Amino acid sequence: MPEETAAGGASSDESARLLADLADAREQFAATSEVLTALGRHASDPDAVLDTIVESARRLCRAHAAQISLLQEGSYRLSKSVGLSDEYTEHVRRHPMAQDRSTLTGRVGLDRRIQQVADVLADPDYGRQDMQRLAGYRTVMSAPMLLDDHVVGVLSVLRNQVDPFDARSTGLLGAFASQAAIAVHNVNLVQALEARSTELARNLEQLRALGEVGEAISASLDLDQVLAAIVMNAVRLTHTDGGSIMEYDEAERGFSVRSAFGTADDVLDRLRGTRIDLDSTLVGRATIEGRPLAEPDLDQITLDSHLQCLYDGGWRSVAAVPMLRQSRIIGALVVRRRTAGAFTDETLDLLQNFAAQSALAIHNARLFREVETKSAELQVVSQHKSEFLASMSHELRTPLNAVIGFSEVLLEKMFGDLNERQEEYLHDIWSSGKHLLELLNEILDLSKVEAGKMELDLTAFSVRGALEYAMSLVRERASLHAIALSLDVAADLDVVEADELRFKQVVLNLVTNAVKFTPAGGSVTVSARREGDDLVVAVTDTGVGVPPEDRDRIFESFQQGGRGAPKEEGTGLGLTLSRRIVELLNGRLWLTSEVGLGSTFAFSIPLVSTGSARGPSPGDSHAGFPRVVLVEDDRPSLDLFSAYLEGAAIDVVVARDGEEGLQAVRRQQPAAVILDIRLPRMDGWDVLRALKADPATAAVPVVVVSIVDERAKGLALGAAGYLVKPVRRDDLLQALADVRVVDASALTDTSRA
Amino acid sequence: MVRPHVLVVEDNAKNLKLVKDVLEFAGFGVSEARSGEEGVDLARRLQPDVVLLDLQLPGIDGMEALRQLRADPVTSALPVVAVTAFAMKSDRHRTLVAGFDGYIAKPISVRDFPDQVRGFLRTKSVP
Repeated sequence: MPEETAAGGASSDESARLLADLADAREQFAATSEVLTALGRHASDPDAVLDTIVESARRLCRAHAAQISLLQEGSYRLSKSVGLSDEYTEHVRRHPMAQDRSTLTGRVGLDRRIQQVADVLADPDYGRQDMQRLAGYRTVMSAPMLLDDHVVGVLSVLRNQVDPFDARSTGLLGAFASQAAIAVHNVNLVQALEARSTELARNLEQLRALGEVGEAISASLDLDQVLAAIVMNAVRLTHTDGGSIMEYDEAERGFSVRSAFGTADDVLDRLRGTRIDLDSTLVGRATIEGRPLAEPDLDQITLDSHLQCLYDGGWRSVAAVPMLRQSRIIGALVVRRRTAGAFTDETLDLLQNFAAQSALAIHNARLFREVETKSAELQVVSQHKSEFLASMSHELRTPLNAVIGFSEVLLEKMFGDLNERQEEYLHDIWSSGKHLLELLNEILDLSKVEAGKMELDLTAFSVRGALEYAMSLVRERASLHAIALSLDVAADLDVVEADELRFKQVVLNLVTNAVKFTPAGGSVTVSARREGDDLVVAVTDTGVGVPPEDRDRIFESFQQGGRGAPKEEGTGLGLTLSRRIVELLNGRLWLTSEVGLGSTFAFSIPLVSTGSARGPSPGDSHAGFPRVVLVEDDRPSLDLFSAYLEGAAIDVVVARDGEEGLQAVRRQQPAAVILDIRLPRMDGWDVLRALKADPATAAVPVVVVSIVDERAKGLALGAAGYLVKPVRRDDLLQALADVRVVDASALTDTSRA
Repeated sequence: MVRPHVLVVEDNAKNLKLVKDVLEFAGFGVSEARSGEEGVDLARRLQPDVVLLDLQLPGIDGMEALRQLRADPVTSALPVVAVTAFAMKSDRHRTLVAGFDGYIAKPISVRDFPDQVRGFLRTKSVP
């Protein structure tokens, strides 16, 4: 230990000096540790550290005063001081020290080393006598506070008499200056950190608010709700007291309050009743200039109509931010305070965000409204179109009735004979009339499909029966052109559930087309098979085929495609309609063709209806009417009986042969069966036996209607009634009344109200 | 046998003539009316065996004419058949629900029309 060595052979003077040194060292040590403790304790408060440093420096350097000046914006500004009057500190704050040699602080900053001036009054370069006079110091020592080789400030100790600082003080001051530099660095860091986290917090708050607004926009198509969220958040985030969103009306050249927050009802009412026009208001000016405008004090300016309302309502400062969309004025966002005061740029920036959101929301709502209006208009147009078509169809049908009817009268030779040419021409008139009628029906059907008004009547029916029926209608035409017709139905196919009438319409259309476009001597084959849960029906001809470029086109209305001239004209709507009907049945229709070899038009539909089509399920009574299966192959009888039955509000299901009839009864479980005896495939006797033998159908009453008068046999086999043709309406209905299918009142005319 | 008597209510002259000619040829006696009002009035006075009523008529339409016929005890029991160019299936059900005895769609089939009408006659007057 040096103390011991020194003490070993020392005089008392020397001992005293050593003791003093020891005391100094202790004090220095204590001070340093105090600073270090302060540094540790106030790690999060560097300001307190600087206080400790400046106080310790004054004490340990035995100075009257000490100060820290920080280099800010090009001059040294007094930051901390101890032992100096308020007058002095205030003065120095107002007149900071320059970065030059007029002060020791300036010099130390320039030279980057500790220096002292023994007597500032004796220093010819010293320039701040003003400071000296206020504080009275004579000897000054300063140390630069260096951070990464940059001067951040200067630590000075001042003595009020000429008494230069010794080496020990110089060392101490250097050490304190280093600590102070670190503390300043920490201050900077903390301040930066605080600024960052404040900014982050603010950003977070803004993000949250904007997020809320965005959520409101996407969660609600209700514009009022969205705008209310926007204006509320705008007010909240800008720490104002109230606000509103103004919507601009181009026709009126003025604004109206669309939404408001923090605004008393009476003020709102007044605002709504006030004209806020584009040309003479703060709001208008902001939108015209396309930038935020603010009035920090309504007391100081001439008020426009809008501001007058606000002023009367107790508002004192207002900012208006334009809401623009592609430079069109949508409106303005306004926030206001009950106290006077400027709006910071930051606030205005923030408001612009909200204004953009509002503009977007209003724009979207306007688009939405437009779309709604448009679709309502379209609906009206479509309604008109449907009504037009329905009435046109009716209007055209009336003269057609006469054209076709009178042709038939003449062709029936009711009023005398015709020569061959007259008959031929009459036939042309008649067939043209029929053609026109067909066209009319298809247009009507198509418009129904397109208007979504085609109702499907779903029943289960025999695939073979339906295909045979359709083919029977073209058989005559086919044989006329020596075209062979054949039908090939897979053995595992029985019934399909669909709209029977529409199904037949599609098949008939395809078969008719095939016959039309097949040259004499060719063939047309209809095949049906099961494919998974679907029924696939294909109509194959040996015609000229459809070139690839026409394969889509022929499904469009009034397009024949490059299949050459047909033998007869068609409506040009058949394929379009067929495809639509198949689609309505949840199926699809397609074409495969090879030019020169022929075409196959095929469609597939679910074997069991998938339920999207409307209509009663099998067994249900249509619209509450009792259902009767009519098994009859003779067309005129069929039509007549159908008319009688439907006239009595009976839902008629028609079967054209015995087998189909049997299946129809099994599926439909009808209220009764009207059964002809002479039938294709299976005669009426066999049908009757089969029905009575099957427990599922034995209870269904059967009324036989036949030209064969074998009443006893019929009743013996289990028929509930037996009528011999010709049958009158009342007889038929009486027979059904006897089996309680219809009310007796339906046929006795006396009981009507 | 008594000639069955048909009252045809139809505003279109040519269609009226067609129906009249066809029915007369088939042995019916035909009276004609050109409006709903006239049809109701004639039905009351002539007591035909069947009334063929167009649905779309000037003045009161077919539905209203039917209502008036049914409301009057003198005509309430008359068979009334709608003959109309309204072609949809729903139209047919509408007419049947309204209380028509039957429905014949236009254009009529000249060959079948007399039989269809005959089917609606009251039993006593079948030709």
